[in-house]
Amino acid sequence: MTSTLTRENGQGPAEVVSIERLRVRYGDTLAVDNVSLSINRGEIFGILGPNGAGKTTTVECVGGLRRPDEGQIRVLGLEVPRHRKKLRTQVGIQLQASELPDKLRVGEAVDLFASFYRDAREPDELLERLGLEDKRQTRFVNLSGGQRQRLSIALALVGRPQLAILDELTTGLDPGARRETWKLIEGVRDQGVTVILVTHFMEEAEYLCDRVALLHHGRVIAVDTPAGLASGAGQRLSFRPRGALDPAALRALPGVSAVRSEDGRIEVAGGGDLVAAVMELLVSRGVVPLETRLEQSSLEDAFMQMTAGADAEALEGDAR
Amino acid sequence: MSAHADTPALVRLTPGRSQGFRTLLQTELKLFVREPILLFWGLAFPVVLLLVLGVAGPKQPERALGDVKFIVVYTPVVMMLMLTVLSLSALPAALASYRDKGYLRRLSTTPVGALRLLAAQIVIDLALEAVAVVLILVIARFAFSVPLPQQFGGFLLAIALTISAMLGFGVVIAAVAPSQRVAAGIGSLLLFPLMFFAGLWVPQAEMGSGLRDVSHFTPLGAAAPAVQNAIAGHWPGSVHLLVLAAYAVVLCALAVRFFRWDR
Repeated sequence: MTSTLTRENGQGPAEVVSIERLRVRYGDTLAVDNVSLSINRGEIFGILGPNGAGKTTTVECVGGLRRPDEGQIRVLGLEVPRHRKKLRTQVGIQLQASELPDKLRVGEAVDLFASFYRDAREPDELLERLGLEDKRQTRFVNLSGGQRQRLSIALALVGRPQLAILDELTTGLDPGARRETWKLIEGVRDQGVTVILVTHFMEEAEYLCDRVALLHHGRVIAVDTPAGLASGAGQRLSFRPRGALDPAALRALPGVSAVRSEDGRIEVAGGGDLVAAVMELLVSRGVVPLETRLEQSSLEDAFMQMTAGADAEALEGDAR
Repeated sequence: MSAHADTPALVRLTPGRSQGFRTLLQTELKLFVREPILLFWGLAFPVVLLLVLGVAGPKQPERALGDVKFIVVYTPVVMMLMLTVLSLSALPAALASYRDKGYLRRLSTTPVGALRLLAAQIVIDLALEAVAVVLILVIARFAFSVPLPQQFGGFLLAIALTISAMLGFGVVIAAVAPSQRVAAGIGSLLLFPLMFFAGLWVPQAEMGSGLRDVSHFTPLGAAAPAVQNAIAGHWPGSVHLLVLAAYAVVLCALAVRFFRWDR
């Protein structure tokens, strides 16, 4: 089919999902507050945030499972939820906490979902890639949490979707299975499928995502590549000082955002020329740094800083 | 790449949905067969009950029963028991559990949609109920010489209305029950009054006239005499048919109005 060819060549419009000024209310609370995002063909786009940030609600709107109160969503050029039926053949969804009938066997479940699509993946091949080939005859109720999760991923991918929405992809998986699942998702992306990944695992987002959006209290507080976000959070320099050193002097340095001292170790976090500034101060005070360690901030550091920053702003706003 | 790379284009172009519905139906049937307790109460138990009543009950027509044989009175009652267990226990428990698990929601994101799962459940129930009705008629005919329905059109109409009312009732229970357990409980609890009025414990002919009048305004209390009349060769009474039709319309409308796809 031509549509398949263009899809796999990565042609066609670059924007697969566009969300504009999305708002969803649950009673009095605003679960999603003015979220706008644009997701491109062939990328793995991560939606990150703590519990209750509005991640699941946002992707449920994209999947046509929930009606937004305000805002516009287009998926593959079609408006959601108006065209949700047309999109069912092209969007595969892995829902959080969605179960199958207890006595349904793994093989039957994949065969069943494969029968819903015209050009479905080969069930056996899919089960093998997800490490479920020995479980074909096992009933859903007898699967472990990780096996259920992998089956749910299989069902989301069996219809060869152009867009896969995966909510809490690897929750409940052991580290080995998690890595395997990541490889599978990378493989899916390499075939030209766009993936929206909801997660609260920073490591997962760092490994898999081409871009991530940080959600906090229903708002987007940042959109960037994982590396871009992490570098914004700067570095951490830690050492054991030989000689007396007042942490206040370190705090006064330009670019330093935080200083902690614990068990005789001092940790300085910040951006800019952090290392040069700290070393210069130590030399001028005659302090020798021992056991020096320098770490690049991770996505997690960036995330903590940004959510703390957003909370502080909100507090200030309330105080005013 | 494609699993169907070597199949002709025409085959690939057949809509996935009808294929999907067929597989959904087969899968639901397999799942149903894996619930032996439903098959027992829905099919095996009523058959055994009919056999016991036929063998142990009085053989001669009885004045108290309106000069008809005991087994002739009980054949439609046992039929009602089957229809009720299948519609009021099996169907709501399955639907409520599928909703609680998020399975209906999951299916609503596929091209097949959740409505087709409801349809598959109802098709299976209808088929089983048709089998149940035929089974009872055949056993009653060949084991106990109960005639096959002489007024066949009236019989079909009465059965069709009864099944519609009971299936509608089943979906309403699934809609109002917060969980599978509660759905199954409501279904079993309702079985007793419904079957009482149908005459399972006291035949309608032996009820006091006041109680009998009340029973004729309950769904199964109207259905049992309607079916009994049709078996005897009379067109079912229009009051019975109207009562059944009213229940069928109201319950199906409530079912459509209140059924929830989501937790």
